[in-house]
Amino acid sequence: MKRLMIMALAASLVLAFAASAFAGATYDQVMKDKVVRAGIMTDSIPGAFYNAKKEWVGFDVDIAKAIADKMGLKLEMVPVNNKTRIGFLQQGRIDMSLSNMTHKRSRDNSIDFSITYFFDGQKMLAPKGKFSSLKDFVGKRIATMQGTTSELNVVAALKKLGDPAPKVISFQKESECFQALQMGRVDAWSTDSTILLGYAAQVPGKFELVGEFFSNEPYGIGLPEDDSKWRDSVNFTLQDMWNDGTYQKIYDKWYGPDTKYYFPMTDKIEMWP
Amino acid sequence: MINRYLEKAWVQYLCLATLTALLVYYFGWVFDFGYKFDWSVLYKKDASYGVVLGDMLITGLGNTITISLISSGIALGLGVLFGLGRLSQFKPVNWFASAYVEFFRNTPLLIQLFFWYFALPMGLPEELRNKLFDYNYEMVAATLALGIYTSAFMAEVIRAGIQSIPKGLLEASYSSGLTPFQTLSKIVLPLAFRAIIPPLGSEFLNNMKNSSLAMVVGVTELCWASQQIESLTFKGFEATTAATIVYLSLSLIIAGILNLVNLKLQIIPKKDKTIGHAFADIFFWPFLASLSLLSALSSCCFRRRSEDFNLTRAQAARKALLNKIKKIFSLIWKATFVSFLLFVVIMAGVGLSGFNFQVIWDNLGTLIYWRFPNGGPNEVLWGLGGLSFSILMSVIAISVSFFIGLIVGVGRTSKNKLFFIPSTLYIELIRGNPLIMVIFWIYFFIPILTGTFLNVFWSATIALTVFTGAYLAEIVRSGIQNIPPGQLEAAVSTGLTYLQAMRKIILPQALKQMLPAIVGQFIAIFKDSSLAFVIGVLELTFVAQGLNNRLMIYPFEIYTTVAALYFICCYMMSIVARRLERKLSTDTFRLQM
Repeated sequence: MKRLMIMALAASLVLAFAASAFAGATYDQVMKDKVVRAGIMTDSIPGAFYNAKKEWVGFDVDIAKAIADKMGLKLEMVPVNNKTRIGFLQQGRIDMSLSNMTHKRSRDNSIDFSITYFFDGQKMLAPKGKFSSLKDFVGKRIATMQGTTSELNVVAALKKLGDPAPKVISFQKESECFQALQMGRVDAWSTDSTILLGYAAQVPGKFELVGEFFSNEPYGIGLPEDDSKWRDSVNFTLQDMWNDGTYQKIYDKWYGPDTKYYFPMTDKIEMWP
Repeated sequence: MINRYLEKAWVQYLCLATLTALLVYYFGWVFDFGYKFDWSVLYKKDASYGVVLGDMLITGLGNTITISLISSGIALGLGVLFGLGRLSQFKPVNWFASAYVEFFRNTPLLIQLFFWYFALPMGLPEELRNKLFDYNYEMVAATLALGIYTSAFMAEVIRAGIQSIPKGLLEASYSSGLTPFQTLSKIVLPLAFRAIIPPLGSEFLNNMKNSSLAMVVGVTELCWASQQIESLTFKGFEATTAATIVYLSLSLIIAGILNLVNLKLQIIPKKDKTIGHAFADIFFWPFLASLSLLSALSSCCFRRRSEDFNLTRAQAARKALLNKIKKIFSLIWKATFVSFLLFVVIMAGVGLSGFNFQVIWDNLGTLIYWRFPNGGPNEVLWGLGGLSFSILMSVIAISVSFFIGLIVGVGRTSKNKLFFIPSTLYIELIRGNPLIMVIFWIYFFIPILTGTFLNVFWSATIALTVFTGAYLAEIVRSGIQNIPPGQLEAAVSTGLTYLQAMRKIILPQALKQMLPAIVGQFIAIFKDSSLAFVIGVLELTFVAQGLNNRLMIYPFEIYTTVAALYFICCYMMSIVARRLERKLSTDTFRLQM
């Protein structure tokens, strides 16, 4: 029995050490520790992904690094996915989340968002030469990703074009959408255009983006609810980055004309005088 | 003094009621969840999206029920087929059935789903693929995968049931003039089914719960719906609660039906029949009436076969001819089967030879240990991941849940309501839900409850532990109940306390009996660790997906490697289990999910 007790005790100790204390107000906590913890995705090309050397790279990674640098903080990157990013933020596991999060009003009930730091919209990715406009997708099968706003957008857009019951299939991961498109299970894959660009660039010449943008997807940095001091400092940092050209440099590195994922910038971030 | 009071039933109920009231008070009014509950997301029209999100749950429920029903049918049919196949005298059938059962039992359902949905169509010719895609292929693939997966478990249950039939009964039925087919349908299967109804029933239950995984191939079932609501509104707690309640009720309904079947199958004198029996009779009347109609029809159409003794010469010649034809047909059938097997083996060989083995070789390290020991500073265990992560998770889960199972299992057999009711609640609550829901629960709940956050690795490991604990508790309970009750009485009468008797007399014997079942549970939990991918734990399945994501054009190579890795580990464990079983010569055991 004694042995049992010791083993149980050891097990509970392991669990206890795995957990650490809940953070207080985020701003004070971050400034005290000099560490900012950012939730970043691992499978979004070119937003944030593991490259062949198993290094974690991407646009979001660089933006997070720049924010930490500007504030004089050490960056700690925490892997998240579309199921964990909100929970982590609410629980204080991370201080900010840069993970393809579209700012929606009903999402703002649960967390806060920074100003828009990336402007995206939804498009269709389809085999080259098969479709020419959005109207051609009426009655076709479309893949989307669960946990994103893409699905409802694409359903709404197709309904508007006269499709009574849009055939939309949603998968758990981007790679699965792309695989479904490659094997012909769906006629097109619809999500934020930068994600589509990232995948289309993997097999050059086979797929193309079709039609106009049919939704507006302003990406915000997810921040803990009701912490205006922290939110302000993130917003100011973003604006400073825009003003001194850091933002442009990072943008060009991932989405510039010389990259595989060329994506012209369409807007500018909100600037407070 | 206190002990004497505690032995009274009303004191126990009072204690439980007080405890419940205290908990309700504490969590209802005192405890700060740090979370704003908003149940209106389930029934109010959402402003951003313009739909009532709760409707998704209802659609999802419909899909869950459809998949569960159809796949159970497939599973039962294939299970009977392969269960009999494993007992066949004809070796190739036997080998094929064994390979089928071992393969599908020892790889995770998740991987099988990916295979049927993503890999299989790629191997088909273009036209066939397009024809397939005209149907609701998500549903087809998920139902088929689920049915085949469950059938492997059912085959084992059925085999065990058939093998438990005494040999004398077979001899008696043959000597009374029944044909092998008649023996099978009239004697063996009815008897076997009576013995296997309980384990078969829990396979139906597992099948329903496993249908939650269909969401990974895009089926909009119940779990998918709750996830969808969660991701659209970020109100995970509310959505998960709703789905859990629906799953629990489904489980209870299935358990209730199985109970009725059990009552119906009991052979008891008329005067001992209870209301339950009468209800079971009414419930199964339509099935039995149609069955008896069928058998009446068949006895009309098929004459009883005549005896061999006083045949005329012509009759005897005809009989000999018929026998000869029968023999030829059986030879043809055997040849066809062997050539089919050869075809399968050759096709598998051709498929494998087309593989790019360099890709597998290059990424094997990644699959097994990810980037250990060069991980980032805040990664668990120096960047460990992949197969070794899955193993680590299941080792931790099984060793901790062993103690949970022991305590709860003993509590479940206790007469004291103070232990009995909470233990039963825990077991039924956990076993009534899919593991994927338990994972989401732990993931949402622990941080709210403790005010600390956990790495997803720990979150998933705790979920696996809690889940396995409930199953182990049931194993422990049946182990304890297998020990003759006289032993406990004898032990207590020698002056040992209840706990001492349990510890020194009952448990050591029971544990020995339970060992194979525990190993079986270990296999199940190792496979189930693949589900941790949903919250982003870097275990084998997650790493494989990430790899597939980056390499893109080698899905066959990656998924086959992953399936092989899982299979090797599980199969080795099941060999150990079988050895143990033989060595301890206990009753046959069953894998549980």
